[in-house]
Amino acid sequence: MTVKLLAFFETDCPTCRLLLPYLKSLPEVQGISQDDPDSTRGLVEELGLPYQVIIDQNLELSRRYDPEAVPALFLVDNDGRVLRKSVGFDKRDLNELAAALGAGPIAPPYDGNPERKPGCESRHREMQNAEFRMQNTGAAPKPERASRIDVPDDVEWYPDPLPVVPPTVERVDRMLAGVGLDPTEVIARVPPNYGSATVEKIAANAVMAGCRPEMMRVLIPLMRAACDERFNLHGVQATTHFAAPLVIVNGPVRGELGFTGAGNVFSNVARANSTLGRAFQLILTNLGGARPGEIDMSTLGNPGKFSSVIAENEEENPWEQFHVERGLPAGSSAITLFAAEPPRGVSEHQARSGRVILKAICRALATVWTYRACLAFEALVILCPEHVHTLRRDGFSKPKIREFLFENTAIPRKVFDEGHGEGSAHLHLYQEVVVDGEPCYRKFAHPGQIHIVVAGGTAGKFSAVIGSWATGPRGSQMVTYPV
Amino acid sequence: MLLVNPFDETKREQGRPAPRLDTLRGKTIALLDISKPGGSVFLDRIEKLLVEKHGVARVIRESKPTYTKPAPPEVLDRIRRAQVHAAIEALAD
Repeated sequence: MTVKLLAFFETDCPTCRLLLPYLKSLPEVQGISQDDPDSTRGLVEELGLPYQVIIDQNLELSRRYDPEAVPALFLVDNDGRVLRKSVGFDKRDLNELAAALGAGPIAPPYDGNPERKPGCESRHREMQNAEFRMQNTGAAPKPERASRIDVPDDVEWYPDPLPVVPPTVERVDRMLAGVGLDPTEVIARVPPNYGSATVEKIAANAVMAGCRPEMMRVLIPLMRAACDERFNLHGVQATTHFAAPLVIVNGPVRGELGFTGAGNVFSNVARANSTLGRAFQLILTNLGGARPGEIDMSTLGNPGKFSSVIAENEEENPWEQFHVERGLPAGSSAITLFAAEPPRGVSEHQARSGRVILKAICRALATVWTYRACLAFEALVILCPEHVHTLRRDGFSKPKIREFLFENTAIPRKVFDEGHGEGSAHLHLYQEVVVDGEPCYRKFAHPGQIHIVVAGGTAGKFSAVIGSWATGPRGSQMVTYPV
Repeated sequence: MLLVNPFDETKREQGRPAPRLDTLRGKTIALLDISKPGGSVFLDRIEKLLVEKHGVARVIRESKPTYTKPAPPEVLDRIRRAQVHAAIEALAD
């Protein structure tokens, strides 16, 4: 008996985008898109899907199989009988379906993606529900434009401490002019209040931040990335921890829009960096509701909550670009989001070797979250160009650097004799290791918890370490989206 | 000056709080642990007080898989299915 795997998806569903690449190596996969041919083609090309994809824009097939959500996988026999069904993203289901098709496991347990992730309501159900709402309210749910507010010129209407550019109708229209999207289209629902980020609302906040209209090109995918469930914006915004989303920009969009990855990269050095970060933060507070003192109850906060956008200094990076390492094609543009603590500096001017530079970075990595906390946290290492030169001269590649930092970042076991505190409750999970003759626990669970970006000016031997918030499927996972 | 409203205008149905209990005596109460360190210590004490001092008939305990995210529907469903009279969400650190 031959069987076939039908994969229903929507092009704008983050869970579908997560799942579809897992099916690449399977035989007998039939993709079924609920969206139009253009956006479907875009998605197939972007994800490099090798299997056949058909369009079900009129939702005929979707109604027949009636999945409640997408992605939905149906294992069917020759007669179209459903042998098995899986809705949403579920690694165990994926491996069992692969086995049913005679293939080995396709979803490894620790590949950085969660075990499970719910999907989005299937389009045909969305329509049914819209029809239902129409019957019950007498009106179709109209896409909503933002309301207009008339304020006298001399009135301070904006509630935040830092002033904004007033989002006049004319300015917002200019921001919307080049976008090519319906102003009422909902790009994301922004946690923790899940306010709708329509194209128009994003544009109004972009005006307030002083963005140029072309910045919408980055803001739209940035909002999708921020609201990707893996990033867990809900937790990032509501925590009492320091975390603030840090945006890392890669690829040609840096030059096209004027992002800098060079000197003063964390400062107010480039309009693109500063205004993108500011617009993003305005959207998070105005639409997501995480206003300091209200839902955002962070104990000390983070200066990054004004604006926190850096670009990689790809010109000074002899290794793979950051977004390429994260799985995107070379030559593409991307943004990456990391729930970040503020940077801690690592000044090392006297070291004669790459090894000693890395040892200094290990000391800073040991302090992520707090000195005694191990395993559950990640770190971003920002390498400055002068340190990069030395490391490269000494034969270090990015994987070798990561391995070295992993092997050499360790917490002396004796510090746990100081008394009960962070880490005490999890000592039984910690891995014992001897580093430079000292009995220690390993700081990190695996080298993949250490991310490496090249940034900063070409003068000065100052690198930085940026700690994470809670990570993995139970915290916030780094996400990278194409621009 | 005519501005485009940059704030959240998402229409929402107004939720209503459940009716308050006039007594805890004989009631079934759910305690939801959000999985922060120390949460179980705090909830053990609350459970004891509810039963011994306030005559609660039964306490059921549930916990979120992680404190970093809202309670998943399965957890809320389990509490609902237990037909409790009230639920207390407990945060500790």
